[in-house]
Amino acid sequence: MSLVLGRFLQALRAAEVRVSSSEGMDAARAFAVLGLADRALLKRGLGQVLAKTTEDKLRFDDCFEQFFRSEDFAALESDLAAPVEPDFAAPAVETQLTGPRAEALETMLREGDRAGLQLALAQAAEAARVQEIRLFTQRGLYARRMLEAMGVVAVEQRMAAFRAAGDQASAAALQASLAQLREEVTAHVERQIVLLTANAGTRLREEILREVPLSRAEHSDFALMQTLVRKLARRLVALHSRRRRVDDRGRLDVRHTLRRNIQHDGLLFDIVWKQRRIDRPKVVAVCDVSGSVASMARFLLLFLYSVSEVLPKVRAFVFSAELAEVTTLFETLPVEDAVATTLKRHGWGSTDYGRALSQLREKVLDEIDHRTTVLILGDGRSNHGDPGHRDLHRIHERAGRVVWLNPEPRVFWNTGDSEMRRLSAACDQVESCRSLRQLETIINALMRMRT
Amino acid sequence: MNQPHANPDAVTAALEETRGGLARADYLCSEDVATAVFLALQLNKPVLIEGPPGVGKTELAHATARWLGRPLIRMQCYEGLDESKALYEWKYGKQLLYTQVLKDKLGDLMQGAQGLKESLARLHEFDDTFFAPEFLEPRPLLKALWAQHGAILLVDEIDKADQEFEAFLLEMLQDYQISIPELGTIKAKVPPICFLTSNNTRELGDALKRRCLHLHIPYPSLALEQQIISLKVPVLAAALREQVVSLVQALRKLDLKKAPAVSETIDWARTLVLLHASELEPGIVRRTLNVLLKFQDDIQLADTELTGLLAASLKPPHAR
Repeated sequence: MSLVLGRFLQALRAAEVRVSSSEGMDAARAFAVLGLADRALLKRGLGQVLAKTTEDKLRFDDCFEQFFRSEDFAALESDLAAPVEPDFAAPAVETQLTGPRAEALETMLREGDRAGLQLALAQAAEAARVQEIRLFTQRGLYARRMLEAMGVVAVEQRMAAFRAAGDQASAAALQASLAQLREEVTAHVERQIVLLTANAGTRLREEILREVPLSRAEHSDFALMQTLVRKLARRLVALHSRRRRVDDRGRLDVRHTLRRNIQHDGLLFDIVWKQRRIDRPKVVAVCDVSGSVASMARFLLLFLYSVSEVLPKVRAFVFSAELAEVTTLFETLPVEDAVATTLKRHGWGSTDYGRALSQLREKVLDEIDHRTTVLILGDGRSNHGDPGHRDLHRIHERAGRVVWLNPEPRVFWNTGDSEMRRLSAACDQVESCRSLRQLETIINALMRMRT
Repeated sequence: MNQPHANPDAVTAALEETRGGLARADYLCSEDVATAVFLALQLNKPVLIEGPPGVGKTELAHATARWLGRPLIRMQCYEGLDESKALYEWKYGKQLLYTQVLKDKLGDLMQGAQGLKESLARLHEFDDTFFAPEFLEPRPLLKALWAQHGAILLVDEIDKADQEFEAFLLEMLQDYQISIPELGTIKAKVPPICFLTSNNTRELGDALKRRCLHLHIPYPSLALEQQIISLKVPVLAAALREQVVSLVQALRKLDLKKAPAVSETIDWARTLVLLHASELEPGIVRRTLNVLLKFQDDIQLADTELTGLLAASLKPPHAR
């Protein structure tokens, strides 16, 4: 595989386009077929081989534009026409301090040989292994390495020699072109950083955010958190929308088997097994948005929104003192507005679980059946009022499942005004749900529920 | 792999040839499409085509078949599609019939055999008679592999098939071979050119996507759609054609449930020819709007916007 393509694939992966090695090989074949002459053609062709979704296509386009910038294209081509195998074993910087390469550099600088300089730059980048750069603070180091690989030291010595000999004009000219070269090298290194590490920081932060308790997430992370939550919801739904029927192996479905084998005179060629349907559950989700859980409510709402986007049958309620349905709000408004409006209209009050749960019972009890999952997100702190566990019991009797997700760690339950003990008696499952990772696990189990 | 790189002129020429060939088969395409078909032929890879309904995804396979003069084998996917309908089936009836007919022969064969063991041994000499290719009913995939001079395989609306079926296609798409337990592996003599189309009703598996080139066909540009209409409905006057296409393009910008696709533009152009329309006037557009739009809500919306849209599309192009 050509070096250029290899680097490009590396850059693509850094930009979060998923490229498998078999796709890389296909890309190499396409690359060989299409050639470098027609940039637009190459972009279309590689795009079809490498980017398989709309988002990937967008990322691919960006990455391609950055990587194969038009002025670099000519240089790349000559680079390929006369491939120079870089010496990976050792940078061999010392040997290049003087010698033919340094001479050549000086000549190129003097004569302003742009193409030659571009080629030398590309070769120096290989020699200095710029593609291994990871941190922004390393850019000075790598730029210096590249310059040394190009033989800049010798040129500097020449410059000093010119000065000593009193040839100020030559020295100044050389200095000017050297300064320009430095700039180009720095620009090259910085471009590499952008290409290769574009998403590394984000990925690290995402990884941390998954584990951090939701209540402690920084305000500055909201945007990232939002994309994370949506990613999570999308993945869960993609995972579960597929397996709606599962063979119940080993149990013969006599009726279907006979029916299907009538065409064979009743000889049983085709055997049909009984199947179990896994339904997408109907979900009634209730979210506490009162002051005590306000820091979490945003994410819970976000998640609720994402889920209701992808699951067809989600009814969403929020409460602090009064219960309010936000299903239509979620259906009509984009996510930021929906969450903000919900919090503005219903949030920040003091909690009254008794009232909220009895209102819930009035509103949805008729609709709840054994296929319904009732999902309650809240801390179970009722301000020493009625926790509403009797109403929850009634709901529990009808519902397929009642799941309570509590943002507090388990040790805090049943302390102070927390009523988790009484409430959990009316739930099938009570979980502490503090980070996105936990949320994912719980929802995953929820969707796998068999009915 | 690195060298030699293709001669640029040869690549351009080959691409032109692809485009020209498809055009001769009555399919005008964008450069994207031409590149995809060219790459598919060069790399021997299946093409996964996505895009809104009615932009010519299926037609691309038909056109490629016409261009290359190879048979098109189409497999329409639906929920519950399985191997016996996609790949092969044993001809049970024929197998049964033959055993009946051959009963006497069987008697002859068995004559003189001493005991069960010997009879069985004799039978074993003929064991695979009834599981031979003659008793195999080839379904689309197998047909595509057996085609003497290669074929075009169109797997239509793959997103409608089950996930399991997708997995089952992988062997076919990667190595152009399938495994039949009784016969072994059947490999294609000439690898078929595969097109898969998807309307994106569900996300396809990564494994499938990885094995395919991915081509997205959007609604065509104004110029391309004009060319398509002039090719498909040559009797439509040029002036009217311009109006028709620009009106349809404007309609697509509205917030419709289902935007009119190329196939609907063609239908509408034909309708207008049948009605001897000489120019787009509100009355005739209103009456024929149901050819373009398939939802009552859409028709109502378009109806209210119609005056403005018509005024815009009736203007000569240079005034816009």
